[in-house]
Amino acid sequence: MRDYWLNKLFYDLTTSSLGAAYKADRSAVLDGYALKPEVRKALLDDDLVAISRAGVNPYLLRYYFQLLGYSDETVMEKLHTALVPAAGQG
Amino acid sequence: MATLAGVFAASHMPPMVFHWERVDPARRDEVGAAYADWGRRVTASHPDVLVIVSPDHFVNFFLNNLPSVCIGVGEAHGAPPERWLKDLPYKTFPGHPAFAEHLLAEALDAGFEPSVSRQMTLDHGFVLPFFKAGVPRLPAIVPFVLNTVEPPYPSLPRCFAWGELIARAIASWPGAERIAVVATGGLSHSIGEPTMGEIDVEFDRVFLQRMSARDHAALIRFMDEAIDRAGNGAQETRNWLVARGAAGPGRFESLYYRAIPEWYTGVGLAEWRLGPAG
Repeated sequence: MRDYWLNKLFYDLTTSSLGAAYKADRSAVLDGYALKPEVRKALLDDDLVAISRAGVNPYLLRYYFQLLGYSDETVMEKLHTALVPAAGQG
Repeated sequence: MATLAGVFAASHMPPMVFHWERVDPARRDEVGAAYADWGRRVTASHPDVLVIVSPDHFVNFFLNNLPSVCIGVGEAHGAPPERWLKDLPYKTFPGHPAFAEHLLAEALDAGFEPSVSRQMTLDHGFVLPFFKAGVPRLPAIVPFVLNTVEPPYPSLPRCFAWGELIARAIASWPGAERIAVVATGGLSHSIGEPTMGEIDVEFDRVFLQRMSARDHAALIRFMDEAIDRAGNGAQETRNWLVARGAAGPGRFESLYYRAIPEWYTGVGLAEWRLGPAG
């Protein structure tokens, strides 16, 4: 399943000047997208594991992490955590 | 009548540009030399036109409107927008509208229904292998966008049939151009998935082995069974399957393979030997 609006957010952030606005004020940008409350919270909390489980195209997910300046090592560590169902929930 | 100048395939992983230094000099030199050799082979085929089979990595299309197959028929294409490609030596990206429209017409006649773009922007999938191979100048490009980034993907038999169709369209094109088919992407890699960084070397080994065999049905059976286990990036081997269809009886030659963990990719380079006529 894909969360369309989460994918749309990532697409817009990485293909327009919206990325800079997002880095300055996430909440203001998120107001423009019909996101589920738990998805919005994960974005605001920078909960990479939860975001990775929210139904996003993996390429768009990677572009989002790159936009935020995360190293590939950090991203892979978080993604690997997401692979283990019991982990990353704490 | 146009000539099928050559059929080629190459991986197109972005970290080869922005994480070049992460690979030690010995392997870097090796893979760099392999790309240079591949580029010399493409150049030596003297193509006037390249039909490049690659996905669009969310540059032209998004989930609201995502063609399975799209042919770029524009006179010129937009430059890749990736910031890490700002040093690309190519400044213009000419298309070949006349052949592209012919390919489109042949497709429709044969019961294929591709999407059409009259203004397409290329991305790294269309240029990176040529850039890293040191190919100084690109001939006219007909972009053949195959959706290998978001399911549902075009079926494997259809990918092969598309390749055959492209070859027939080249054979029936009345112009004197030499037209090469180049598939990019793959082999095994996983990007943005929980398995990111894993490379399925066994998938790549069997894939290259099956590519070499005459029996394309066995290749398709293998891909159908194994492709989903080799990472989302491995879906780009469907592009290679298009090239396999275009090459017809041409003999597959794997020019290079190495799994490069620093670039998260099983890196493959190939050419099809088309025989004296090619």
